[in-house]
Amino acid sequence: MTAGASASTAAPGVVAPTILPGRTVIFRKEVQQQLERISKADILIGIPSYNNAGTIGHVVRAVQVGLAKYFPDRKAVIVNSDGGSVDGTTEVVTGTTIEDFQSILLHHRVEPAMKIVTPYSGIPGKGSAFRTVFEIAEALNVKGCAVVDSDLRSITPEWIELLLKPIMESDFDYVAPLYHRHKFDGTITNSIIYPLTRALYGKRVRQPIGGDFGFSGRVAKFYLTKDVWETDVARYGIDIWMTTTAVANNFKIAQAFLGAKIHDPKDPGADLSSMLYQVVNAAFELMETYKNEWKQVRGSLEVPTFGFRYTVGLEHVNVNVDRMLNVFREGIENLRDIWIEVLGSGDFRDIESLMRRSNAEFRFPKGLWTRIVYDYAIAFHKKKLPARHLVKSLTPLYLGKTASFIKEVADKGPLEAEEEIDKLCMVFEENKEYLTRSWT
Amino acid sequence: MSSFLQMIFEPLKEVYLKFINFLPNLLAMLIVILIGVIAARIVKALLVHGLRAVKFDSWSDRMGLTSAMRKGDLWSKPTEVLGAAVFWVLIIVAFMAGMSTLKLDAIDSLVARFVLYLPRAFSAVIILVFGYIIAGFVGRAVVIAAVNQGFHYARLLAEAVRLLMIVLVLAMALEQLQVAPEIVVAAFSILFGGIVLALAIAFGVGGIDAAKRIIAKESLDRKEKHQEEIDHI
Repeated sequence: MTAGASASTAAPGVVAPTILPGRTVIFRKEVQQQLERISKADILIGIPSYNNAGTIGHVVRAVQVGLAKYFPDRKAVIVNSDGGSVDGTTEVVTGTTIEDFQSILLHHRVEPAMKIVTPYSGIPGKGSAFRTVFEIAEALNVKGCAVVDSDLRSITPEWIELLLKPIMESDFDYVAPLYHRHKFDGTITNSIIYPLTRALYGKRVRQPIGGDFGFSGRVAKFYLTKDVWETDVARYGIDIWMTTTAVANNFKIAQAFLGAKIHDPKDPGADLSSMLYQVVNAAFELMETYKNEWKQVRGSLEVPTFGFRYTVGLEHVNVNVDRMLNVFREGIENLRDIWIEVLGSGDFRDIESLMRRSNAEFRFPKGLWTRIVYDYAIAFHKKKLPARHLVKSLTPLYLGKTASFIKEVADKGPLEAEEEIDKLCMVFEENKEYLTRSWT
Repeated sequence: MSSFLQMIFEPLKEVYLKFINFLPNLLAMLIVILIGVIAARIVKALLVHGLRAVKFDSWSDRMGLTSAMRKGDLWSKPTEVLGAAVFWVLIIVAFMAGMSTLKLDAIDSLVARFVLYLPRAFSAVIILVFGYIIAGFVGRAVVIAAVNQGFHYARLLAEAVRLLMIVLVLAMALEQLQVAPEIVVAAFSILFGGIVLALAIAFGVGGIDAAKRIIAKESLDRKEKHQEEIDHI
């Protein structure tokens, strides 16, 4: 079947949806027919999308070339799990083909990957899109899967090799991405998610919420056994959920160096506190689920890393530290009651003392930040406040910490910035006893 | 002499006969009240036990009910307060039911009016409790959202929203209790309208410069936020 002739879903409502035996996701009849026709595959690449017509063509081409170049003798399927795009995203996916095999250094024509384009059901969000991908992976009994974002501009065919080879050839179960990012980017990852997951589960997965992952069919099936699809996991908590579930359940983990991650600029109006809520809420929920696992862990271990590391020239990133510190100071003035309730008066006094420093000499001590994150996790566990209020009230503190980090590494290179993050992780690990003791 | 004695004993006899006739009613009242007290104690114990099982105290802490009670100088646990409230409501009901066994017209009418008023009183209490909780919840959401946007008067804004909601809740509760409903509606309209008008005048006339500064700062903040290219995730 040529890519151009690959079947896609018909207009909504044309045919009745069906539920595969033993599954909860409803597939349209033509998707069901496609699955029956394909019957079995070795590799599945999932691409969640919502109005990404501008970028998804490049992503599909990179995936097709990656599959043709690195897995030419494997039966592969590309699944576009779409959230109801109205800009022609699904048509772009269906119509994207490799025109010239010579240009990608392939001397013989390779059978192109089959494509399934289907809308997902359930709560709108990346998690629901992934659920459909997992269901199709299970239906086709694939050995290896990878998921890549549809707004990527820097994806190359090598990403497919790097995300899948450890699974197809080295028996790994989960491959997390490792990107080169600007030292100011990924601050939720750098100051909360990476130090926290590393201290909790003892594995140094540097980009636990990277967004592009490889995983085995076994892991996809395992994910489907979990009843999380009506929670925030179905939205943007999916990345941290996938990584933590794989790590906490002792699947074999690796990382793959993918180079720079450049994607479409995010909506500048997107609310930071909502993003923070979705990610941190999912991480705290997972602490409840895996409390017996993380309480036993001390220290952390490196995970095997694949891919050739190279330096990437990254564009300058504009930041406004004064605005961040302004929000932090407003927090001290206005959220006093909540912070005292969550952190206790001792740590609140330490935070207040930071307010007296000028912007130039503002620094957020690593130990204080660690206790803040742990105290928020404990407050979440003890349900001191409604989860949304609790996590969103962390935003000014997070901005204070981010401003401090930006100042600390302003004149430093990427390696020194990385060392600072590593030092923070060590403080998280050293203070873990406090978390374990307070978790009653 | 005998007629004199008859004059003395006749009323006493009548009183005695009336008392004898009344005695079963009195006993019935005492029994009803006693059963009511026992039932109220049992219901209170069951309720407190059930509320503790579902961790009502923790829920009250989260919803701000406990801190509201502390502000009102009420230091018992919410579970105990609710148990005591239900106990006393049941005691009043038992007392009224007991009184009605006396079969006195005045008391019957009082009991009837009390029973008819009970649903209104209950609705008013529900409106007050839930209204207070919702006002606290919304106030906290407003202050967090405003701070996260870097708004300088976050707490003032949240308190204003909370106050307006409490005024609305009080008016609704009083209207439910039918306490001078016309006056309540009129007072509420005047108060609510007055607050809005005062804010409009203060902001529109007295605070033109302040309003300009706030709007300019907000627009600058938005511009700066849009210029910021940091990718937090």
